[in-house]
Amino acid sequence: MTSLKQLDPSVCSVKVSPGAVVCLEADYVGDITIGARTVLHPKARIVAEAGPIIIGEGNLIEEQAQIIFRLPEGTEVTDPPPVMVIGNNNVFEVDSYCEASKIGDNNVLEAKCCVGSGVELTRGCVVGSLCKLQCPQVIPENTVVYGSQLSRRVQTDKPAQLTLQLDFLTKILPNYHRLIKPKKKPVP
Amino acid sequence: MELEDSYYPKAQYIETATGNRVSRGSVLCGSQNIVLSGKVVVLEGVVVRGDLANVRVGRHCVVSSRAVIRPPFKKFSKGVAFFPLHIGDHVFIGEGSVVNAAVVGSYVYIGKNCVIGRRCILKDCSMVADNTVLPPETVVPPFAVYSGSPGTHTADLPESTQDLMTDYTRSYYHHFIRVKDMPSTPRESATTARLVDV
Repeated sequence: MTSLKQLDPSVCSVKVSPGAVVCLEADYVGDITIGARTVLHPKARIVAEAGPIIIGEGNLIEEQAQIIFRLPEGTEVTDPPPVMVIGNNNVFEVDSYCEASKIGDNNVLEAKCCVGSGVELTRGCVVGSLCKLQCPQVIPENTVVYGSQLSRRVQTDKPAQLTLQLDFLTKILPNYHRLIKPKKKPVP
Repeated sequence: MELEDSYYPKAQYIETATGNRVSRGSVLCGSQNIVLSGKVVVLEGVVVRGDLANVRVGRHCVVSSRAVIRPPFKKFSKGVAFFPLHIGDHVFIGEGSVVNAAVVGSYVYIGKNCVIGRRCILKDCSMVADNTVLPPETVVPPFAVYSGSPGTHTADLPESTQDLMTDYTRSYYHHFIRVKDMPSTPRESATTARLVDV
């Protein structure tokens, strides 16, 4: 019965666009909107405490990845609340932790990386495994952060296409997991 | 050296006919594609992705809490394929490690918080130290120790590694003792605190 509890309307409201594959067996808190073709694996964790989280199209969020939107302590709640926006075609690999204020398109957060609050990822950025970005900063386009020394370089090649992987996962995940059904569009 | 006894409450673990002890707090997706060959210990919070491809785990393996075992994928000109993941006998996988390898041999030790990249091959009697990142398609030769980020060959293991790992995983299994109810010891409160923390 835990699955029912997770989708308790008093705890969370998850809006799923048609074409997205969103597993029920993940943790959701707060107001979350998930765009088309996004794949959310079981055991992911999305916490929208400070305000709504809007996830764009074609994102891949793997198990144990955490996307957390939390205001730093001592800040007042504003009206309307701030919104965390995640663009299109981003990858959040296993056990990555993301508190970034804004995420653009085509970024990759590799396994076990940590992106703290106040960090802004622009486009085509890669945060390597076990890399921790804690200070508020804007990561320029196509930056790759890697290794134990957090070395940086700019990648010249285009970010890899995700579509094949997403297609495959949208085919097989419904065979094994219960999904959150997309809401029918209200007829205007 | 004998390992210290650790206890588990009967209600929170499932013991199978072949002697596997699997925590109810673990997630085995696609369980029809997962083979645990016997006397395997799977602790709480572990995720095994059998839904992506077949996963075979040999005898006397230990998978520590919050580890993730997920078959690797490879992109082809048309479509993506996930490859089956084979893990040998007497393998220890540390807490919070992510194993994306294609093959893990026997008598392999994987430390805590490691990331084993896609389609890595870990040969028999190799070791990956704590907090190591192995880039995709790394091959770890026998008796090698890999550490760092990215992981490099830093040390060698003694010839007795096979016996050491056999003893270690065997005694881990035998010192993992079932109790009817968990006594309210500090150990219990420590595990619950960790659960809330994650």
